[in-house]
Amino acid sequence: MSPPRDPLPPLGELWLLREGSDQDVVVSSRMRLARNVQGFHFKSRFRTDEAERLERHLRGALKAARPDLSYASMNELTTVQRDVLFERHMVSAEHVQESHPRGVAYSSDGTVSVLVNEEDHLRLQAFSPGLDLAGVDTQVNALDDKLSALLPFCFTEKYGYLTGCPTNTGTGLRVSVMLHLPALSFRPESKASSPEPGVVKVSKAAQKLGLTVRGTHGESSRAEGDFYQISNQVTLGRSPEQAVSDLQAMLTQVIDYERNSRGILVKEDRTRLEDVVWRAWATLRYARRMSSREALAHLSALRLGVCLKLIDNVALRTLHTLMVAMQPGHLQIAAGRELRPQERDVVRAQLIRDTLAPA
Amino acid sequence: MSGHCDRCENPATVHLTEIKGGQKTERHLCEKCAAGLHVPSASKELAKLLKSFEPALALATQGPAVATRACPECGMTYAEFRQHGRFGCAKDYEVFGEQIEKLLKRIHGSARYAGKKPGGGTVHAPATRDDILRVRGLLDEAVKAENYEEAARLRDQIRRLTEEPGDGGSGAGA
Repeated sequence: MSPPRDPLPPLGELWLLREGSDQDVVVSSRMRLARNVQGFHFKSRFRTDEAERLERHLRGALKAARPDLSYASMNELTTVQRDVLFERHMVSAEHVQESHPRGVAYSSDGTVSVLVNEEDHLRLQAFSPGLDLAGVDTQVNALDDKLSALLPFCFTEKYGYLTGCPTNTGTGLRVSVMLHLPALSFRPESKASSPEPGVVKVSKAAQKLGLTVRGTHGESSRAEGDFYQISNQVTLGRSPEQAVSDLQAMLTQVIDYERNSRGILVKEDRTRLEDVVWRAWATLRYARRMSSREALAHLSALRLGVCLKLIDNVALRTLHTLMVAMQPGHLQIAAGRELRPQERDVVRAQLIRDTLAPA
Repeated sequence: MSGHCDRCENPATVHLTEIKGGQKTERHLCEKCAAGLHVPSASKELAKLLKSFEPALALATQGPAVATRACPECGMTYAEFRQHGRFGCAKDYEVFGEQIEKLLKRIHGSARYAGKKPGGGTVHAPATRDDILRVRGLLDEAVKAENYEEAARLRDQIRRLTEEPGDGGSGAGA
């Protein structure tokens, strides 16, 4: 078996490592549009060789619309290479696992990626660091407009864009932000008088606004390390502008709520807070084996410490780099060989120690 | 994405965060153990939703003929769609007409598109009673605050909302 090769440019170029607005709470913003092309069945009804023909067709249109994008056919990539794409949020878990002809077009910094033959013929997505709904909106819609001049999309005035799943029918839009809410997830020490953690209140409020709160990798994924995704649910009857402004309104409040909760922690529970942060630091600096789940929990605590300036010799960029680089695909690409899970835990701990070692 | 199932040695692919009574619990399971626990998945939830209002629909429409009507384009029947929750082609929206309209209303609270059109222009959603009431509320506040410029703007907006026939098709040209 040939050694896994990185299908992507160096991690250092990734959009996530750039600075963004309100980054103490908002890690990243994302927008995606689901589109299907006339003259082809949807994925659930692809005929023999239809997926292949469609992939070729769409790849050609993507090249014409955005010659700067690279393209990878998923079936030509190794498992590890696919994992790397997934770990950078450029493809979904389904896109990694399936076997029919499908691919992904992407910009070198990962800001824009287009999934070909996922649940819909095209899933266009744009990312931006921090809170930047306007930025991802501009990026993804510019690409959509270019493609719609080349491809006849399935569209009716009554229902809008027709998608494979009725939950996306209409705008085909999912606008989401990844939030880091450690203070709102912090549970008071005495359970007897423990009020609801703030994230429960956020989740309830979101539901009332037609928004949903999920884990880090979207649908049915868990909230790892107190990272949560908030996104719109409704795609019919509400325009994209409305969906964005609803989310923005909700975010303004959640950001304040998290910042206030952090302030209260610093004021009223400082020793315990510092203890959590410094224990995380110590574990990350010295542990010899670490699962990605444990690492993310400590990195989350450290991130809180950095944002509150309890720790001042670590940059957010370093933490974000680690959060991506410590995942299985990236570890194996860096090692130049496949690693068993137990080996990965050792290599991961080493990577974290080396990265956080004082210069 | 590594990690083992909480119940066996298989890799965990189903991750659950449950918040109950203010307590957050996390579970990590493999497909098999998750199936045994009847964990709701997004597509299963959708299938349940589809089933839940089927009897009422069947009564309201043409009886069992609906379930077996097949799309001439992709061969999908309504019964199959109901089972998997995924369309086979764009024509299904037309073939399963009334059922789909009801389903979309149920999912999104509306079955009328609002947003851009491919190639340019916009489709506006028809104004609802709620929209009009909301703007009336804003108008009252603007008048109370003696913000007459804003009040005039809102009054014009209400006029537009109430004049426009709610056909949702007021596109601004392609």
